[in-house]
Amino acid sequence: MTQNNGYIPDEWLLSYAAGALSEGHAMIVSAHAAYHAEVGQKIADAEAIGGALLEDQDTSALPDGFFDDLMAKLEDEEMPEVTETTALDKSIPASLAAYLGKPLDDMKWRFMGPGLKQCQLWTGEGGEKLWLLKAKAGASIPMHDHSGLELTLILKGSYHVGGTHYTPGLVEVAEAGSKDHQPVIDDAEDCICLVVTEAPIKIHNWIGRMVQPFIGL
Amino acid sequence: MFDTNHMSVALKDAQQTSYPAALLTLNEPTRKSKQQCLTGSRSVSNIENANIGHEQLIARVAKSRDKAAFKAIFTHFAPRLKSYLLKYGLDGQKSEDIVQEVMVIVWRKAHMFDPTKAKFSTWIFRIARNKFIDHTRRHKYPEVSADDHLADMAATDRTDKQTETRQTSERVREALSSLDSKQSEVIELSFFKEMSHSEIAKQLDLPLGTVKSRIRKAFIVLRAAIGDQI
Repeated sequence: MTQNNGYIPDEWLLSYAAGALSEGHAMIVSAHAAYHAEVGQKIADAEAIGGALLEDQDTSALPDGFFDDLMAKLEDEEMPEVTETTALDKSIPASLAAYLGKPLDDMKWRFMGPGLKQCQLWTGEGGEKLWLLKAKAGASIPMHDHSGLELTLILKGSYHVGGTHYTPGLVEVAEAGSKDHQPVIDDAEDCICLVVTEAPIKIHNWIGRMVQPFIGL
Repeated sequence: MFDTNHMSVALKDAQQTSYPAALLTLNEPTRKSKQQCLTGSRSVSNIENANIGHEQLIARVAKSRDKAAFKAIFTHFAPRLKSYLLKYGLDGQKSEDIVQEVMVIVWRKAHMFDPTKAKFSTWIFRIARNKFIDHTRRHKYPEVSADDHLADMAATDRTDKQTETRQTSERVREALSSLDSKQSEVIELSFFKEMSHSEIAKQLDLPLGTVKSRIRKAFIVLRAAIGDQI
């Protein structure tokens, strides 16, 4: 089942706030929030719930001298310099720009198939991967099935899956077990997406199956 | 930015930004009293008794490295933070290490706290969460940038600053107790065990979809408690 409205469901926002997401999922959620103030507000609300839970704890004693030791460490410090963040890609969410540390164009893009390039960013437990996909305008992603959940955030360009149109800032949620997934990139411009996959995708055609071991997805 | 060693500068600055007189009189007047603050002095208890909001205290830490204000924040939050970290399953030593690191960040980044965007308790919760993840899972936790330029609409006017921290905490506690036990269970596993949806599903032997819908429903109730809209 693929969800169609392009917004990450609220349970992800709460889990993000609680600190319960993996690095890959947290990256997608924080980048998605950069496009939609309402999503950011919901996350802030969930974090305020976390703050209230913290506030509501009983107190646990700290050792004698704990504060004094801390102050001894801090009191001679200079006021921190206010540093400007520079040279980050302003066309993508700030959290992603900071994560990548360089503009999208300077990433190491690798061959993934005709008209497709990918750049792997992170691998987590159980084969979870965070990666960037770059697809030429008009390209078709080979038809594939998902054995795990896949979240795709569109950064540039756009694509269709069936009758649904995904544009920058929207997230396609493809649940585990979804079959015959075949996004088609729109003709106007190349499409760049941030993707997190929980398990290897299964590509249908023989070229896909042949190259898959080499592209590592 | 500010010359923190000279009170006159800080005072002048405070006057320019028209701080309430009560705040000024509570400011540390001399270097001598800084020493007093460290050893638990009168000026600390003044601050605690004066019932000044944490948001105002952190503003004073940012402006003039006010140690009495910092101690008041520490006295309130550090022992609670330790309890929270113990709930995560950390031992006492590890919890105290993280408490210390969090308080160091509070001191160093006090100037980055923006009371128009969040309550202080929300801010320190975020710092603690990220430190905890950094320590225990050794991975990054990308943060939402409040000032991102890509937002497709103006941010809503509502921030959580209107209500006092303590009030919000009470309302969240009430809302939590109003949840049915199945809903509060998934919220606790999320916040105190940092379990993902699939980990919760496994733990409770439930379908993934059930876990997700429970979290969603609980979130609606809890959001209503912290703001005046759902």
